[in-house]
Amino acid sequence: MSVVAFLNDSIAVAENEYRQFRRNRSAILISLVVLPLFFTVSLGAGQGGAGTTFSPTANIPMGFVDNDNSLASLRLWQTLASSPDFHNLIQSYDEQAAIAELGTKRIYAVIVVPKGFQNDLESGNQAKLILYTDDSEPGVSDQIQSTLTSYVQSYDPNVEVQPHLSQLQRQSVAGVGILTKGAVFAGFNIGLTTVLAIVQIFAGFYEIAGGISREREEGTFARLLVSPISIGSIVLGKTIFDVLLTVIRTFTVLGIAFYGYGARPNTNLLTLLALSLIIALVTMGIGFVAASLKLGQRAVVIVEFFLILFLFAFSGLIIDINLLVGISQVVGNLLPFTYAFDALKRTILLGRPLLSLTFDLEYLIGSILVSYTVALVLLHIFRERLIT
Amino acid sequence: MKSFVRDTVAITGKELKQLRRDPVSLVLTIIFPILLIGIFIVIVSAFRATTHNVPVVVADLDGTPASSALLSQLTQSRFIHVTQLVQTEDQAYQEVANGQVIGAIVIPQGFGAALASGNAFVIVSTDNSKLTSSAFVSVAVNQGAQDLVNEARLGEGGVNFALKIAPIEVITRPLSGRPPTGDTILPGFLGMIAILGGFDDIVNAISRERERGTFPRLTLSPVSLFAVYSGKMFATVVLTILRTALVLVIFSLYGLVIRGSLILIFLTTILIAVFTLSLGLSMSARIRGSATLTVLEIAMTFPLFTLAGTFNSPLLLASGGRAIADSLPWTYGNDALRRLIYLGAGLNAVAGDLLILFVSSLILMPIAILLSKRTM
Repeated sequence: MSVVAFLNDSIAVAENEYRQFRRNRSAILISLVVLPLFFTVSLGAGQGGAGTTFSPTANIPMGFVDNDNSLASLRLWQTLASSPDFHNLIQSYDEQAAIAELGTKRIYAVIVVPKGFQNDLESGNQAKLILYTDDSEPGVSDQIQSTLTSYVQSYDPNVEVQPHLSQLQRQSVAGVGILTKGAVFAGFNIGLTTVLAIVQIFAGFYEIAGGISREREEGTFARLLVSPISIGSIVLGKTIFDVLLTVIRTFTVLGIAFYGYGARPNTNLLTLLALSLIIALVTMGIGFVAASLKLGQRAVVIVEFFLILFLFAFSGLIIDINLLVGISQVVGNLLPFTYAFDALKRTILLGRPLLSLTFDLEYLIGSILVSYTVALVLLHIFRERLIT
Repeated sequence: MKSFVRDTVAITGKELKQLRRDPVSLVLTIIFPILLIGIFIVIVSAFRATTHNVPVVVADLDGTPASSALLSQLTQSRFIHVTQLVQTEDQAYQEVANGQVIGAIVIPQGFGAALASGNAFVIVSTDNSKLTSSAFVSVAVNQGAQDLVNEARLGEGGVNFALKIAPIEVITRPLSGRPPTGDTILPGFLGMIAILGGFDDIVNAISRERERGTFPRLTLSPVSLFAVYSGKMFATVVLTILRTALVLVIFSLYGLVIRGSLILIFLTTILIAVFTLSLGLSMSARIRGSATLTVLEIAMTFPLFTLAGTFNSPLLLASGGRAIADSLPWTYGNDALRRLIYLGAGLNAVAGDLLILFVSSLILMPIAILLSKRTM
């Protein structure tokens, strides 16, 4: 078969995909609107926009019990209450009553200044603050503790109004300042590296594996297989069409991120598009492999769900890959998506040029080649099975 | 009324029989919880590892006993692994920029002299694209500095710099009295399992019946539509009880002590599942295909991990996220589960949460039935 005929067939398959897609309203909605919108908006809502900062502890209601009733404890109250991190500090006079409120959702922590607080400070001893927390709220206890510690680390009871602390002073540990360097990224930008990839993986896998499964159940895939079009053309045609969808999805996610949440990735649009396409191609390759195994539509969706859960655990989305232990690190290192997330972080956050990430790119391109080759072989082997 | 109850029981029995005959769905009902908790275990094991060995380089530009003492603390840290000692500050930063290490720690010239006056500082440069690893580098440096100061105060290790200690120590006392572990997210996982189970049940109960053509037959039979939906809902209740029991057994095997009333825990997961079922029923009126419905439901599930307070408390979200979390009945379900399982709270503490779930289902269920009737 000539290359021209092969390409003509592929384009015909892509056109067929487009016609089918155009007729399926829910597919258009899910693929191009719901998935990009849902994930990006959820990220923005949870993390705030890229240009905005917020204090997680600012609006958490907390009790403050002053058992010392001294000038030092009063100044501590004033310092905390006037800070941007403790807007919802409620003064209480009964320690037990305040502690009893914990777990009722009225307050989530109680800061207790014990008797002898000022005496300890005056005599040069380390004074103590007791922090009671509702630790059933994940993350809240740690967050309040670290914020409170940063305030009292350099507290000077002799000063009426505590000076605004520099970053160095806030991070000082018992007289040793810790000056941090290295860019600090907005939560939204960090999340964008995940959302951009997850949207492509979610949609790409469903469109390829689910699409073939649907065609098979409707009987049109069998007709396509017995037509004089080669399996290679079918695979290429479906890939071409899905690449177009990937481009639209990428622009949708980035559009919402740029204009809705003020995201400013440290890289150019071309890099983001190229990475999205690479991720989509890896996913499509795996999707073709899944399709060749004659999975039903529901099975495809369930496999997809497991795949994404798997990625959350092993691809460095929740915990960095180098921190995984034992076999989980080996699994993580084998997954091509690990390198995709790594490349997205290095480009979007650190501004590294795409072509400098040679290992990530080599692994991803290798994965595309391997998955497509395996898919083509399996589709040839199971051709009869897929027709019947 | 008698016939309604009989019909409901018959439909419940039919649903459970169908599930028993469908090994894939049956296995999924069991695998969902195990998989989710498996992921939790992978993540928590990584956090709880005895050593983390995050690679860092150190540039000791001071070369005094004080800087050597700090370097010694850093090399002994269980969080980091000092891979190289470099000569210059730039060299250290370059290693981070090249991605060779996660962090560079620079002990500047004059560190030893400044330590006695309380003006000493160290510089830490981290690759913040690796969030957890860079956090471990910061923890290691903080701990190293703290240990150095403690040693200096006690005159141990041959160092004595007459240092002042931090004026105030914060002592944290958690309400549960449990040690600080990641276990606090486990109740939220149970909530997510109830949600996923509810979504899966609605796909099995309605969409697949529609695709097979058995749903119109069911509605044409002498059974009221209300009894059909009630029967399907009770099947979900039975399955939710089984899933919850399975998850609680796994929690116990994992070592989590369940403090609250088991009846209240089961009631909460049932209410979460019934609300999810009501929502799924409303969605299935518009979205006919089982695969499309499943995709949509799964797409909804992932943001819920954050917005409904599974991984992190909704209190820590930005204002927009907090508003969304407050408007989601699932948030209240997860919250109730945490209070029950983790704190051992009673009915009084979770009554409000359960009421929100119940009322939400009560509002949504008739809407769902109405929508289903219209699109039948």
